[in-house]
Amino acid sequence: MYGWNGRILRVNLTTGETSVEEVDPRTARDFIGGRGWAIRYLYNEMDPRVDPLSPENKLVFSTGPLTATPVPTGNRYMVTTKSPLTGAISCSNSGGFFPTEMKRTGFDLFIFEGRAGRPVYLWVNDDRVELRPADHLWGRTVFETEDMLRAETDPRARVACIGPAGERLAPIAAILNDKHRAAARSGVGAVMGSKNLKAVVVRGTRRIPLARPDELKALADQVVEEVKQAVAAGKATLRTYGTAYVPPVTNEVGILPTYNFRTGVFAGAEAISGRTLNQKYLVRPKACYGCPIACGRVTRVEDPIFGGEGEGPEYETIGSLGSACGVDNLAAITKANYICNELGLDTISAGVTIACAMEMYELGLIPESDIGRPLRFGDAEAVVEMVRLAGLREGFGDLIAQGSYRLASHYGHPEFSMSAKKQEFPAYDPRGAKGMGLLYATSNIGASHMAGDTAYMEVFGVPKKVDPLSWEDKPRLVKYFEDIFTIIDAAGLCVFLSIRYLFEPTYNVEPVRISRLMEYATGAGYDEETLLRAGERVYNLERMFLVRAGFSRADDTLPPRMLHEPMPEGPAKGHVVELDRMLPEYYRLRGWDENGVPTPEKLAELGLL
Amino acid sequence: MKIRIKLLAHYQQYLPPNCSSSSYEADVPPDARVEDVLAGLPVPVEESVVLVNGRTPQPGQALQEGDVLCLFPAIGGG
Repeated sequence: MYGWNGRILRVNLTTGETSVEEVDPRTARDFIGGRGWAIRYLYNEMDPRVDPLSPENKLVFSTGPLTATPVPTGNRYMVTTKSPLTGAISCSNSGGFFPTEMKRTGFDLFIFEGRAGRPVYLWVNDDRVELRPADHLWGRTVFETEDMLRAETDPRARVACIGPAGERLAPIAAILNDKHRAAARSGVGAVMGSKNLKAVVVRGTRRIPLARPDELKALADQVVEEVKQAVAAGKATLRTYGTAYVPPVTNEVGILPTYNFRTGVFAGAEAISGRTLNQKYLVRPKACYGCPIACGRVTRVEDPIFGGEGEGPEYETIGSLGSACGVDNLAAITKANYICNELGLDTISAGVTIACAMEMYELGLIPESDIGRPLRFGDAEAVVEMVRLAGLREGFGDLIAQGSYRLASHYGHPEFSMSAKKQEFPAYDPRGAKGMGLLYATSNIGASHMAGDTAYMEVFGVPKKVDPLSWEDKPRLVKYFEDIFTIIDAAGLCVFLSIRYLFEPTYNVEPVRISRLMEYATGAGYDEETLLRAGERVYNLERMFLVRAGFSRADDTLPPRMLHEPMPEGPAKGHVVELDRMLPEYYRLRGWDENGVPTPEKLAELGLL
Repeated sequence: MKIRIKLLAHYQQYLPPNCSSSSYEADVPPDARVEDVLAGLPVPVEESVVLVNGRTPQPGQALQEGDVLCLFPAIGGG
């Protein structure tokens, strides 16, 4: 097999046994790799109705066929499991250096089953696989855990682990790798915690065999050259500012989440921008493995209250812990980001949950005695404190750690949770970008920009600008973006490079180059059509997992604020999300029935029956 | 008439010297269209997202007193 290792490591945490399985070539090709292989195994092997935190749930780490190849940004891995936040499937995705190292151990997937009797970590050193006791690591932060594990395994090893939030089963807990990169969403860290699995440590030295290495290298080099030329021409926005360049952009369009998504216009947008970050806190840009872009931020804050050093913040973090909470203090946002990384929390869900609590506190729906302090919009110190408490599940932080839907429901008002399928919105108010509204509502993983970010076209003009306020053509756009994001994830690549350099810049974002790279890597017979079909196949199988878990059209929805409260100001003033108008057309284009269930005809067409 | 020109992301390098914010005031003819003003900017317009008051302008759209003409590079990511 080329591109893929074709081998899976299965780890039974209950018995401590590990085994190696081969993957048959047809499954490999039809489900691409990464999240595609992961859902194929989970769908076949587990009951989607199980309790996400029970031993019956399974947890899959997966790389794709382009991970650890010369293709730039081939540095991603995905975490797929039944989510304790949403009850649906997860697809939490991270870069850095861990994923490449994992693929080079000779395994494409790790499948974790059962529950260890005591804390353990998995140490995979090429073919040598070992479950080791982790009692001495339990309770440690992410940063401490990684340092200790590299010291006791190999200084060149790479680590993915949970912090106290995951150990304490917080439904918004993340899995951090390389200390600062996060497979953040959907509470995947809590599933790891429920299995008493503190960390996964990898050291891999294998080269990935490629079907047509010369052609792959030539095309990969060409892409890298194009990125370098853009950098040389002074067009390196992501390298210069990171994704923190975005707040003034989304604010200009009127969709920067502000005051728990009451509005999309924030007076402090410039104060929380990449320009401010560069002037005050940036140490240097940082790239993941094999990335010519370097959107990562190494930062240091010198401040008596919010001082620290680490990585971030990215745009989503700024929008969630910042503007959504009415906070324009970038030092505080950065500090809160550091704490999330250290304790193992998703910054998006943490920020939007705190924003929800702030709104409910100001409306008198949460008593101050429950919180232990005032919790008003704009209170930077409160955000930092709430993040810390959430990561430890102490005091009011115990409710924050459960996400906004459970918090708001606890006080009898779930409508204040800005979430879909109980997962918090990323930092685009969908009333001003209708495709994002349909995406949040229908996404298999709950609200997420990584499920098919139509903001690329609606806001950023990539590859072409479309009107964010129109809804008419958005069902087609959402379906298309969901399918191509599935391909990018499953291949093991980063969206930032893929959308701009690996797809043809037409309205349809045709997957010309990525299908060639996939074919050069695997030799499995990929072209544009088979690859798009494989993306659709994976997306539909994920949907079938949801159907079996009990999800239906009633779950493909948005909070009442998005459907009935017009945006009060700015360029999107007067707009709501016309979900009822988009949803039937979206289902029709998907080949799903009126309840959002794939029809037998569609499943047969995709080879899923 | 006066409008504001706002330049975001790495287009801030094209802001006038000593411009402390992301935008500056510009004097344009009363019948100026969006295209007329863009033609006079040192910005690669064809690679840009162009907004007037936060919205995508129509081809040939005339500018009004007080309009904010915003440009940023088509990049994506967040």
